[in-house]
Amino acid sequence: MVRVRLKLPSSEGRVARWLVAFMTLGFIALAAAAIAIGWITVRNRTYTAEILHTQDVRQAIATLQIQMEQSETARRGYILAGKPLFATAYARTAGNLVPSIRKLRHLTRDNPRQGARLDLIEPRFVQLRALRTQSMTLVAAGRIAEAQRRFAVDASVPLMRGIRYRLQAMAADEVRLLAIRTERQERTSALFLSVAGLAAALLLIVAILAVLLIRRYTADLAASRDSLRTLNETLEEQVAERTADLSRANEEIQRFAYIVSHDLRSPLVNVMGFTAELAAAAVPLAELVDRAEAEAPHILTEDARLAAREDLPEAIGFIRTSTQKMDRLINAILKLAREGRRTIAPEHIDPAQLVDTIVGAMQHIVDDRGAVVRVERPMPAIVTDRLALEQILSNLIENATKYLKPGRPGEITVKGHTERGRVILSVVDNGRGIDPRDHQRVFDLFRRSGAQDQPGEGIGLAHVRALAYRLGGTIDVQSTLGDGATFRLNLPTHMTIQDAA
Amino acid sequence: MNDHKTVGIVMIEDDEGHARLIEKNIRRAGILNDIRHFTDGTTALDFLFNAADGPAKSGPAMILLDLNLPDMSGTDILARIKAEGSPLKRTPVVVLTTTDDKVEIERCYDLGCNVYITKPVNYESFAQAIRQLGLFLSVIQVPEAE
Repeated sequence: MVRVRLKLPSSEGRVARWLVAFMTLGFIALAAAAIAIGWITVRNRTYTAEILHTQDVRQAIATLQIQMEQSETARRGYILAGKPLFATAYARTAGNLVPSIRKLRHLTRDNPRQGARLDLIEPRFVQLRALRTQSMTLVAAGRIAEAQRRFAVDASVPLMRGIRYRLQAMAADEVRLLAIRTERQERTSALFLSVAGLAAALLLIVAILAVLLIRRYTADLAASRDSLRTLNETLEEQVAERTADLSRANEEIQRFAYIVSHDLRSPLVNVMGFTAELAAAAVPLAELVDRAEAEAPHILTEDARLAAREDLPEAIGFIRTSTQKMDRLINAILKLAREGRRTIAPEHIDPAQLVDTIVGAMQHIVDDRGAVVRVERPMPAIVTDRLALEQILSNLIENATKYLKPGRPGEITVKGHTERGRVILSVVDNGRGIDPRDHQRVFDLFRRSGAQDQPGEGIGLAHVRALAYRLGGTIDVQSTLGDGATFRLNLPTHMTIQDAA
Repeated sequence: MNDHKTVGIVMIEDDEGHARLIEKNIRRAGILNDIRHFTDGTTALDFLFNAADGPAKSGPAMILLDLNLPDMSGTDILARIKAEGSPLKRTPVVVLTTTDDKVEIERCYDLGCNVYITKPVNYESFAQAIRQLGLFLSVIQVPEAE
């Protein structure tokens, strides 16, 4: 026999399972890496924005300082030279101061320390602007000397120094912030790189695993395909071989049953024969005892009387009934064995007509038992062995009329239909039913189910099953106790000799 | 019945019990012919063909033959008896056996068996069959051995 394994051997199966587990882990890790990368990118963007913001602040501080210095330069030039060129330069640069301060305050609104510094700077600018406006007005009015004198004593120089000093402090603070933020950004960049590297490594591993897995499965598939092909190619052969094996085994069993039952008959003939002889011999003995009782009672012992009148007939009676039973059992086996040896001759049969014949033949039994047999037409035509089918159906119908439920008139329906190329013939009754526990058992030889109130040896259904198998079919029963039974005979629609088991 | 020589009955039957029952029932049918009983094929063949008082050398006989023997098959004995040139070729052979196989029955008739009887298991039928066989034996004519 060729045995083909379509499943993986267990060790390879384990490897494949590990591979799948690793791959799953790899995918989970990849997903985690992707999430991490996304998060890092968002953080990085935040840090970059912060750095840009710091640069903006520095830029704004520098601009403010330059504007302050330029406007001061323009004012001093105007005071010294009195040229209107300086006045326009002053107007241009000093006009930018207020927006610049506002811008700076806006940029540093998130930083309380810078805000505090601006709070100190702003009043100084107000004072400075008042001094400057005074100088400009005096020069414009031609009072240059007065403007110069006032300039020499006013507080604009220390005011500007104070502003300068604080702006430098602000710039220094921003430089410090820039350093912190740059470092933070560099750290996230490094983190990004390592996570990305890790992800790449993971991707590589998962890819390798996937390739391994695919290769393994492909190899398995190829192996399965090859073994399937081999299986297909040798299927016919195997079926033929199996069939031959089966029919050999079947023949063997039938031969065995035949020989055994046959050889059992031989000693049984003796047992029954000599029991009959014994019974015959007991008759004159009993007569002798009777005569002795009448003519010479004193020679008759109680033992002899008992032996002749009770013990002997009783013993012979038991031997008789037992041997008769044994004879019936042996005959049943013999019948089954002989049935197995009978040549099967498939022919066209109309089951409905066959059932009519069967019911006609047993009409008196059916009537005696108060049952009605109904045949549902039409029934599918079938090609099978007539005698075997007749025996099966007649056994089933006979059983259906036999095991009625007391107080319920028997109603038996015989019907048939086709199912996936096979003919199902059903014998449905409303009798006492069969306990589901016994559904298999009732088909076994010498086994019966339920109350043993009907004569029988437990042979009929065994015979039916043997015949069904012989016809390449099966038989089963569906029933609940007390609620009738349905026997379903499943036969090939068109039986060939190869179907015969 | 033959007037000058009584027909001997040769019974070849390995089962002592069967032999006894057969003999009893033949006697009950009123047949008083001599019955020689053999339980194996070898001694039976020896008696049939070689014994001084055996059927081949003296006197007509008829043979009751069982097919299941310990040392040889009953059909072999039948073949020997009915073989071309055998002195017992015309001697009637009644095959009395438990086998009711169709093939076996056909084979025995092909070999020249005269009657084939299956031993009924039921004793009443068995006794009945043997008694009828006895009646049959009392009316048939048996040829002389050659």
